[in-house]
Amino acid sequence: MNEKLFRTLLGISILGLLIGTGGLINFFIHGKSTLALGSYIPWGLWVSLYTFFLGLTAGAFLITILTYVFRIKVFYGIGPLAAFTVVVVIICEIIIITLDLGHPVRMYRLLITPGFKSMIFWMVVFTMAMLIIYILETYYLLREEIIHWSQDPGIKNRKIYQSLALGRTAYTEEDRQQDQRRVRLLSLLSIPVGLFFYGSNGAVFAVLLNRPIWNSTLTPLLFIISALVSGGALIVLLTFMFKRDDNVIHLLGLTIRFLLVVMLILEFLHFFISYQWDVVYIVAALDLVLYGPYWWNFWIVHIAVGSLLPLYLMIFYPYNSRLLAWACFLIVFTFIAFRLNFVIPDQAVYKLEGLDASYFHDRLRTAYVPNLTEWLVSLWVISLGLLAFLLGARWLPVIQAGRGEEEHV
Amino acid sequence: MARDLPVEDPLVRMQRDLKRALQKNPKDLKWGMVIDIAKCIGCHACTIGCVAENKLPPGVVYRVVLEEETGRYPYVGRRFVPRPCLHCQNPPCTKACPVTATWQTEQGVVIVDYNRCIGCRYCLVACPYAARTSDFGEWYTAETAELPGKLYGQKAAANGYEAHPAAEYGRKWPDRDHDSPVGNARKCHFCLHRLKVGMLPACTTSCVGRATIFGDRTDPNSLVYETIGSPRVFVLKEELGTRPSVYYLK
Repeated sequence: MNEKLFRTLLGISILGLLIGTGGLINFFIHGKSTLALGSYIPWGLWVSLYTFFLGLTAGAFLITILTYVFRIKVFYGIGPLAAFTVVVVIICEIIIITLDLGHPVRMYRLLITPGFKSMIFWMVVFTMAMLIIYILETYYLLREEIIHWSQDPGIKNRKIYQSLALGRTAYTEEDRQQDQRRVRLLSLLSIPVGLFFYGSNGAVFAVLLNRPIWNSTLTPLLFIISALVSGGALIVLLTFMFKRDDNVIHLLGLTIRFLLVVMLILEFLHFFISYQWDVVYIVAALDLVLYGPYWWNFWIVHIAVGSLLPLYLMIFYPYNSRLLAWACFLIVFTFIAFRLNFVIPDQAVYKLEGLDASYFHDRLRTAYVPNLTEWLVSLWVISLGLLAFLLGARWLPVIQAGRGEEEHV
Repeated sequence: MARDLPVEDPLVRMQRDLKRALQKNPKDLKWGMVIDIAKCIGCHACTIGCVAENKLPPGVVYRVVLEEETGRYPYVGRRFVPRPCLHCQNPPCTKACPVTATWQTEQGVVIVDYNRCIGCRYCLVACPYAARTSDFGEWYTAETAELPGKLYGQKAAANGYEAHPAAEYGRKWPDRDHDSPVGNARKCHFCLHRLKVGMLPACTTSCVGRATIFGDRTDPNSLVYETIGSPRVFVLKEELGTRPSVYYLK
């Protein structure tokens, strides 16, 4: 990544953090009353953002498996970058969902009074498992470079690397082989854990009764495919910016193109089947997505800008890395619209006839538009993730560690 | 003519049923409620009675009265369907809780442990009847003027009433601030604190049409047991298999 782009992104992330801090302070002082949520739409922008982050981890998850389990050589260069991406995005995911809780301090309750029947419990278990796996994997991938940097007098802040090296001063061939075995083992472990991770997140929504859009067996599948689309797109974007490798970009571009088509077909089937049921509340929720006041969010942001335009670029310019990166940028950037369309409209239909006229209060309405505090806090978390990623990419050997891996295999 | 009038107020009988129920082994009783839609006049007294009894803050409501229109013009009608928590015997909300902060008691009442709830609101989205609400920490007196020298400013007004929560679940809760039940999921609990001291739920006593019947649904001599046996009985969204403990009469 060139210095100019790095500084620009660094500036954007710091500016985002500063602006977002205003919303965060307001939220911490006045609590949940600052949010636009209510009891009929209790999950809003932050839960949508959570599912957005979840999707972004999937591409990196796929890359690390392809690289370290199936040993596909072309992806070796971006393996450490992908693993590091998973760590940063999962941390962002945890921060935003923790802020969404009414009593975040009581998270320890998950350990002492766990609800084993709850999908949220399993979602937390697999999220933490993924985080631990990817922190360890990233560390073992970077350890060689960290030890070298800790011994290099030309490197600034050597003490940081010395502490990260945990007292090691030399890295032998034996260490290298041992770390490679560990990374492979962790990647193997991440396959079942990761599938349960994405599956349990989809199941959080799918298992709920009487939910017009969520309550479908297609939901977990749609979650996994859409996650791979957005996550894969993020990896292409990062590869283009941080470690340009045209082969990787072209190959991933083809994969994302295919997955995007599958996702659109699944989405069409989801709508088609649900419309065929012709049940009033299901049709009402679907109509809200397609023809409601935020129709443009579906048709323009998600379908036109987030799906058809990237598809056009990926089909007609499959070997133009810059255009592929732009296509992937559009997918990632508009993916929040896809998530919002999934999370909000389902809740925006009254569950019982006459509920809207029974008791009047702003918190008992199905109209929801995220307010400034919610947007500012979201901006803060995204900026924090971007900053962590930029600093990590600069101060940790995530770019350098991928070099020459082919020789070891 | 006089023989058609009820010989005693159903409340008196329910009170007698309640007294008998409280003498039973708690394991052997199951609370239940029947709401006679034909008798409900849509006065919303039960809603107000509940809000007052539990000192519910803005945006939190346990029992609403739904207004439904029936038929087609010109043959139209209007009916009122009070909707408390239905205390399902197969509750989807308790399964959703990741920290087991909500469960069904031996008496069949679905309750929430405010001090355990993490406020994820999953139970709110899981309830097919929208019977749970979240306490976002709002105050009725938030807009009250706070001017120096005035006797009734915001703080004085709040301290006079809403700063001190009701003794829900028979417990004393700290003054309203950021602590529970603020940030929690809240719901109807059949006024357990009243039942404990031999009083019927607030919605039942406040019902002017005596449309709400409450009692031990396992006691064959109770009014609620008798009413559940009516051919007019039905439950909301039966197809979901939640088996509510709140029944309705057409």
